[in-house]
Amino acid sequence: MVLEKEYQVYRNVCPRNCFCTCSMLSYVRHGRLEKVAGDPLHGFTRGRLCAKGYAYVQRVYAPERVVFPLRQEPRGSGNWRRISWTEALDIIARKILEIKGRYGSLWPIALYVHYGHLGLLHLAVEGFFDALGFITKIQGNLCWSAGLEANLLDMGSNLQPDPETMAKARSIIIWGANPAWTALHQMHFIDVARRLGALVVVIDPLITATAAQADLHIQVNPGGDGALALGVAKYLVERGWYEEDFAKKYILGWEEFRSYLQNELKYTDIYRVAGVDQARIEELAKILVEHRPVALWKGMGLQRYTNGGQNIRAINALAALAGCLGFSGGGLYYASLQTWDLFNFHARNWSPPPGVKGEHRYLPITRAGEGLLAAQEPPVKFLWIARANPLSQAPDPAALQQAMSNMELVVLVDQFLTSTSQYADLFLPCTTQFEEWEIIPSYWHWWVAINQQAISPVGESKSDLEIAWNLSARLNELSPGSCNFPTGGDEEEWVAAEFNPYVYQLLGIKDYRELLQGPRKLKMPERGGEPSFATPSRKYELFSAKARQAGLPALPVLASPLSPPPPYPFRLLTPHLQGGNNSQFLNLPWLMSGSREPVLRVHPAIADKLSLKSGDLVRVYNDRGELVLSVLVTQRVPPQVVVCYQGGTGGKINRLLGGVETDLGKEGAGAPAPAYFETFVNIARI
Amino acid sequence: MRNRVFLLDITRCIGCRSCELACKSEYHLAEGQSFRRVYELEWLTPEGLVVLYLSLACNHCEHPECFRVCPHRTYRKRRDGVVIHEAGRCDGCGRCVQACPYKAPQFDQERGKVDKCHFCYARLDAGLLPVCVEACPTGALNLREGEENLADTVDKIPGLPDPILTGPSLRFRLSGRLKHLLNRPNILGSFL
Repeated sequence: MVLEKEYQVYRNVCPRNCFCTCSMLSYVRHGRLEKVAGDPLHGFTRGRLCAKGYAYVQRVYAPERVVFPLRQEPRGSGNWRRISWTEALDIIARKILEIKGRYGSLWPIALYVHYGHLGLLHLAVEGFFDALGFITKIQGNLCWSAGLEANLLDMGSNLQPDPETMAKARSIIIWGANPAWTALHQMHFIDVARRLGALVVVIDPLITATAAQADLHIQVNPGGDGALALGVAKYLVERGWYEEDFAKKYILGWEEFRSYLQNELKYTDIYRVAGVDQARIEELAKILVEHRPVALWKGMGLQRYTNGGQNIRAINALAALAGCLGFSGGGLYYASLQTWDLFNFHARNWSPPPGVKGEHRYLPITRAGEGLLAAQEPPVKFLWIARANPLSQAPDPAALQQAMSNMELVVLVDQFLTSTSQYADLFLPCTTQFEEWEIIPSYWHWWVAINQQAISPVGESKSDLEIAWNLSARLNELSPGSCNFPTGGDEEEWVAAEFNPYVYQLLGIKDYRELLQGPRKLKMPERGGEPSFATPSRKYELFSAKARQAGLPALPVLASPLSPPPPYPFRLLTPHLQGGNNSQFLNLPWLMSGSREPVLRVHPAIADKLSLKSGDLVRVYNDRGELVLSVLVTQRVPPQVVVCYQGGTGGKINRLLGGVETDLGKEGAGAPAPAYFETFVNIARI
Repeated sequence: MRNRVFLLDITRCIGCRSCELACKSEYHLAEGQSFRRVYELEWLTPEGLVVLYLSLACNHCEHPECFRVCPHRTYRKRRDGVVIHEAGRCDGCGRCVQACPYKAPQFDQERGKVDKCHFCYARLDAGLLPVCVEACPTGALNLREGEENLADTVDKIPGLPDPILTGPSLRFRLSGRLKHLLNRPNILGSFL
């Protein structure tokens, strides 16, 4: 048992790609991490962690964790041998310089980073390559791009209220999110609201853990969310139950939209696309009118379709009509970098050496494999992957694997031999949050906590920042002046360099070290008073000229997702798993022992038709690939849908993805995201 | 004598398993061993699909079967009701594993011994809550002492052994739709 007095206790922050960004206390004895717990001084996470959080001790000391640099020869063989950091950095530095000499350009060097770690100091990877020169960058985000651009088109900015204030809402609409699994700590604030009388509505094609407990669950068709929102908007307009003053004063395109709803949009089309009936539309409309303020949370799930951006625009439009944009209680939630933007990004913002001119070459992340293969003049020869496991998580892993096979050198920074490591040459082991200093803002709540180093790096692990320093040092030894990134430093000083007087003011502190006493909440500027929008018209843009320029409807109009082609009648959904964060954590026995994953969840009606029972093996296939999964028969998925929670198949499931993109995503994220949920398969009993 | 009771508010349990993992982390349990487990149950009713989560550990019974059947007297019951297993004398015979209607004692392959939840008695003695209760993000899992605040709770739900058998220190709080639905006998069948 862990009693506090026998331990040194440190403050850490969970850096995973998650809403909660939990503040943790780590208990260390004889230099070893023995326990993690929630930090009770953090007002959002309130001293609790999720199951994954409590499994960190096992993650840090997992026997499978790689803690020395490794080299695989040949690539794909699994024949890894330990090498020294000196050797690893020398191989990389010489390859970079050789390529630069051969091509007279750094475009043959490509960088693939994602969000496996959210820390600001981990952005040193980007900082390092920017300080080197102009390279090829994989651009975009696999997750939130469509919703983000939709918000930017409609409102000009992507802000949201303090999620703790959701506790004061009279109704909470959780639209396409499953916080019981993926934003655990928000459930407390939802529960508080509920005990004070709020109604909780969950709109989801699946009966998730969150949906199972809701007062009302609307089982919408996958991707039919925008249709449902427009149906409710039409109903509100027909009855005059909307904010007319607000609409007239603050909305651009109000008349066009009203005319569209009343004259063009037909309920029969809404029922067909949304899969809901009039009674449900009325029910939802009445809740929006009678239970105010309304907190409306748009999840990530409903924007992973070819009409994903339209889905979000339609829901935003409904929120605007119903007066729940968040200027007087309630509000519209998604995810926001509003607190991130306050920091300095010292680790990221570096420029090439003086005199180096040019620009980066960008390849969209949805087609990274294809792009890397096709890149010419000059081709890509070197790939650096950090904070990512694309062969498990990205679309079209086959093309990416081929692209990796064509490289002269592939460097992977990680902690475990992931699916992606198979095609890497060099594996550089990085530290966990317990072994480094960091500052990690949240894209959801408004708290800021500091991450201090609690234990020495395990084995020879180094932080992304230290790797960047060391590599810059080696490059400058071999070719003085070749890299503008610092060649050494103190991590804690780099944490300090992320702060500025404005952040200090919002946190009510004078020095970052005050955060060692406990996390603080940012006092964000009030959004009350006169509504204002950062759009070109300064109004809420139901009519978006930008959308029209991009070749999309200017108004949020009815848009259907793709329909299954006859040979592949089931839509495959791959939402987030409880026991993992994307592909992370799934290797830990504490979390996964006894787990049934990966399984294919199938509705009883389909199971009957195909004579399947739970535990049977099926071939899940389409024209792009196949895999074998065990079946779990459950009422919790609708008949036309099969579900395999993502991450558990080591990327095999992503080989079935349809290769289509979301309608929006360029603005904000740089490129559309994969339309993950537009994947169609057939299943056959083995 | 202070009888402690685990009180699970079923309408607030979302099956997140924080309790289960906080315990594993605190005591560095062996692979496959969980002193506390979260069960996910679903059944179809005329009113629609009902899903519920049950977080269960050792119930520190008034008449513990583990205590009764152990040939090596490795179990003892403290004055405050906590049932403790002294793993030192355990030879892993597994009779308690068979006897416990709640499947609380679990065999550890590596050590060849059985172990189970001890109510975090050292924490209780230090005035702290059990780690599972402390970890619960929704306040579904609680600790109650004596008869206080048990008025609106029930001692049985379908699917679990009749409490009259061993007198478990376990109560449930139900509300809303679940209260109505769980009032039917044997709807779930035994799931343990």
